[in-house]
Amino acid sequence: MTARAAFREGMRRVNGAPMVVAGMFAVTLLVALPLSYALRGMIAAQLGSSLEADTVAAGASYDWWEEFAAQASGLGTTFIPSITGFGAVLDNLGGLLDNVPLAATIAGVTSAWLVLWSFLSGGVIDRFARARRTRSHGFFGACGRHVWRLLRLGVVAGLTYAFLFRYVHGWIFAHAYPWLTRDVTLERSAFAIRVAGYVVFGALLVLCNIVFDYARVRLVVEDRRSALGAILAGGRFVRRKPGATLWLYGLNLLGFLLLVAIYALAAPGAPRAGLSMWLVLLVGEAYILGRHYLKLLFYASETVFFQGAVAHVAYTAAPAVVWPDSPAAEMIGNADRPDVS
Amino acid sequence: MFGRSAALVALLIIAEAAVPVVPQPPAAPPAPAPGGVTSARSPRNAGYAITARLDPASRTITGNEIVTWRNTSNAPAPTLRFHLYYNAWRNTNSTWIRERRLTGDTSLMARPESDWGWIDVTNVRIIGDGRTAGDLTSRLRFIAPDDGNADDRTVMEVPLDRPVAPGETLNVQIAWASRVPRTFARTGTIGNFYFIAQWFPKIGVLEDSGWNCHQFHAATEFFADFGTYDVRLTVPKGWVVGATGVERDRRDEADGTTTHHYYQDDVHDFAWTTSPDYIEQRARFEHPTLPATEMRLLLQPEHAGQAERHFDATRAALKYFGEWFGPYPYGHITIVDPAWQSDAGGMEYPTLLTAGSRWLAPRGGLEPEGVTVHEAGHQFLYGIVATNEFEHAWMDEGLTTFATARVMEQRFQAHYYVKRYFGGFVPWTFRDFQLSRVGDGDRLAPYRLNAKADLPSAATWQYWPGTGGVITYNKTALWLHTLERTLGWDTMQRILSTYYSRWAFRHPKPQDFFAIVNEVSGRDLTGFVDQVYRSSNVFDYGVETLRSEAATVRGYVDGREGRVLAGAEVPEGPFRTTVVVRRYGEGVFPVDVRVVFENKEEVRWRWDGRDRWKVFAVEKPVRALSAEVDPDRVLLLDVNRTNNSSTLAPGAGKAARTWSVAWLIWLQDHLLTYGFFV
Repeated sequence: MTARAAFREGMRRVNGAPMVVAGMFAVTLLVALPLSYALRGMIAAQLGSSLEADTVAAGASYDWWEEFAAQASGLGTTFIPSITGFGAVLDNLGGLLDNVPLAATIAGVTSAWLVLWSFLSGGVIDRFARARRTRSHGFFGACGRHVWRLLRLGVVAGLTYAFLFRYVHGWIFAHAYPWLTRDVTLERSAFAIRVAGYVVFGALLVLCNIVFDYARVRLVVEDRRSALGAILAGGRFVRRKPGATLWLYGLNLLGFLLLVAIYALAAPGAPRAGLSMWLVLLVGEAYILGRHYLKLLFYASETVFFQGAVAHVAYTAAPAVVWPDSPAAEMIGNADRPDVS
Repeated sequence: MFGRSAALVALLIIAEAAVPVVPQPPAAPPAPAPGGVTSARSPRNAGYAITARLDPASRTITGNEIVTWRNTSNAPAPTLRFHLYYNAWRNTNSTWIRERRLTGDTSLMARPESDWGWIDVTNVRIIGDGRTAGDLTSRLRFIAPDDGNADDRTVMEVPLDRPVAPGETLNVQIAWASRVPRTFARTGTIGNFYFIAQWFPKIGVLEDSGWNCHQFHAATEFFADFGTYDVRLTVPKGWVVGATGVERDRRDEADGTTTHHYYQDDVHDFAWTTSPDYIEQRARFEHPTLPATEMRLLLQPEHAGQAERHFDATRAALKYFGEWFGPYPYGHITIVDPAWQSDAGGMEYPTLLTAGSRWLAPRGGLEPEGVTVHEAGHQFLYGIVATNEFEHAWMDEGLTTFATARVMEQRFQAHYYVKRYFGGFVPWTFRDFQLSRVGDGDRLAPYRLNAKADLPSAATWQYWPGTGGVITYNKTALWLHTLERTLGWDTMQRILSTYYSRWAFRHPKPQDFFAIVNEVSGRDLTGFVDQVYRSSNVFDYGVETLRSEAATVRGYVDGREGRVLAGAEVPEGPFRTTVVVRRYGEGVFPVDVRVVFENKEEVRWRWDGRDRWKVFAVEKPVRALSAEVDPDRVLLLDVNRTNNSSTLAPGAGKAARTWSVAWLIWLQDHLLTYGFFV
């Protein structure tokens, strides 16, 4: 199977699982909502009964924002002008690429979301691998079946990424880059060097990401119990098919860049109370939904590609999960069994 | 001033044997050629004839100068004191670096050997007075009048055989050699870009109370007397030179170098730059009532498309500062666009300034306009009104910040918040966030965080180095803007122009400025000055409560038939509106209190702002809508504007909901960005 075919088939499978897309979107929304509500409380408390609230509701007020920032702590410190519109995307991407430390609250919620997503990814990959509805019991059964393996895989992946960001990123951008640019007097030359740094770091990151992606796929599809074994298997798979796996990754990346470009053009700026706020919400959530779709497309297309690369298309070694009966039904079933009291 | 001709020339010839390069004393009197004028604008009591040679291979400057100094104080001078600023970067024991390190700047300790610079005086002699021993080199010593730091070599003292009497003139010849540092404090080099400032032995200012010749400090700049600068700079052939003054002539030397001759009357410093990479452009500032000025721009090649923006900003500064303060008299100005990473940007020197821009500098942002206007504005406040930046830096930096913010408001609206991503290279303009004169121009936000950092009336060199700029720039701009809103722009403008005309080419002190404020405004503003300048009080007024209730009485009241119980029924109106306003901060400032009613009627009270709290009450047939203290926002030093008002129909919930939606999308996007890892 070619990468393009896997990409197309991946799209078909994601399209065929709208509840998975909606569910994952809902999970992210539900994780984010409480914090958003908490921030709303902070803003409301800061504004109190002030007339300034009318100015703030009417659009962006940089002067007020600076005052809010001066009084903010914890979560409030993340409420900065650059969260508006397309700035949010740049802020997050730039922050990740430049390894900007996260506020403690945000780091906490991000970790929780990653664990939750790891748990759910077992069901998601299982769903895409089977290419049929698994219903909620099948979905969550698969989640439960694979969760500890995926978490173990997540720990190894986390340590790898931590190493990359702490040491490799540090070496490239805190040592090599300043050393290379120390005497550079043309900003564009320095920028080119920085871009080269991003390319090198990005290549390492993508390489690890592809290996861990296929490790995750193999762990679920082949019902592997060993996370380390899955990582090695993922690595072997990528090594055997480097061009195709990279090409598929590139297609997915292209989809992401396309979405980002569309959002850059379509993103409304600062919201104003009323219709404008709803427009910001609508366009913003449409973009977030798109990102979920693309994230799931990564899973689906890589699963399809792996399945297409082994002997049997749609190969899944994991047996369908049998949902346990309710305790009451189990008791009735056990009624005739003398060994069960 | 330069007229000791024959003996002086003879001594110079003798001196030539001792030092490699000898400056030629300027002809006397100077002709009104470029850079010169027929009549002196300033006292011209500290003139310099300098020859200097830059060797880029060794990064050294060898120089020779004749300082013609006249004692304008009432006291005799038994010694001479000179600034040797380059020694601030001799090692980590200098006062400048020690003070920097106090703020936690650890980068200085990691500087490689090649970064350090110094200046060594190799010869000092008195020439032409026929009374002294001549060579005083063996007598020179380093002193540390401010902190006693024995390792600091930024002030050199030379004892004389006989004191220089008031009114007497002395010619001192000094030879020196220096290594140009990798840029510290906006002077130095990177690659083949050189910006050379504070580079020659420079005599201090003798006041009646003695020498005003401070060590180089981390939080301060400079102070010097006016004079004529006649400077010959030798650099590699083909390198472009920009400097204080104008180039009178240039001569190619046999050794592949070129000597550029610059000249300027009535300035108190001389800085220069050289690089083979500069693009040179010229334009002219013209104005119906102000003198024309030739503008010379030395631009980095990667900013070639930004030339007109630099000229526009300089024009704006010359126009508005000219109209508000007074004319720029020199007729020429050089704008230097420094090389990236040179750290030489944003600095003022007489008739020359360093701006600063970025490769990607979107229109609507502040670069290069903001910094160019500011530094061009310094030509008036620093260059011409030459205040003591060691002791009263607010007088040039604060006033310039105030006026720059006003220029930006007048000429460059609208400008927006710009954030840079990906290593700080890629700008993104947030066009919803328009910057205001108060918030951005006067820089309220940093002041808010450091309002009590230092007492403004303390000597600037004693400010905490980490936040000195906030008090110097921001607080001054804010209280000057407050003064403008108190007195009105017309009065404020007359204050500025009076100050400028009275103190141009002189050294005013704070009391001189405050005297003009009182004189022109016709008011005694000592109380205001006490609050904003002689204290570090923080200002914060707010509305504590607002109530607007039916003006009924419960309980027993005295009626026609004696004591009666007031009715339990609450009639509709009149309504009693009660406002409690508070002074949360220590600062005291008279403010208005305004209440707006449902029928749009307004009631205003004047409050002297002294008590900690005060009640204002009024009965009206309708309810109040809102109350506000300082509704016209006169007091710009108020650190918490949000609590200045209160409404009976708060919109906080609506505002909070609106913005939490935007933040929600940011958070979701953040999670999905980190979703890369799973």
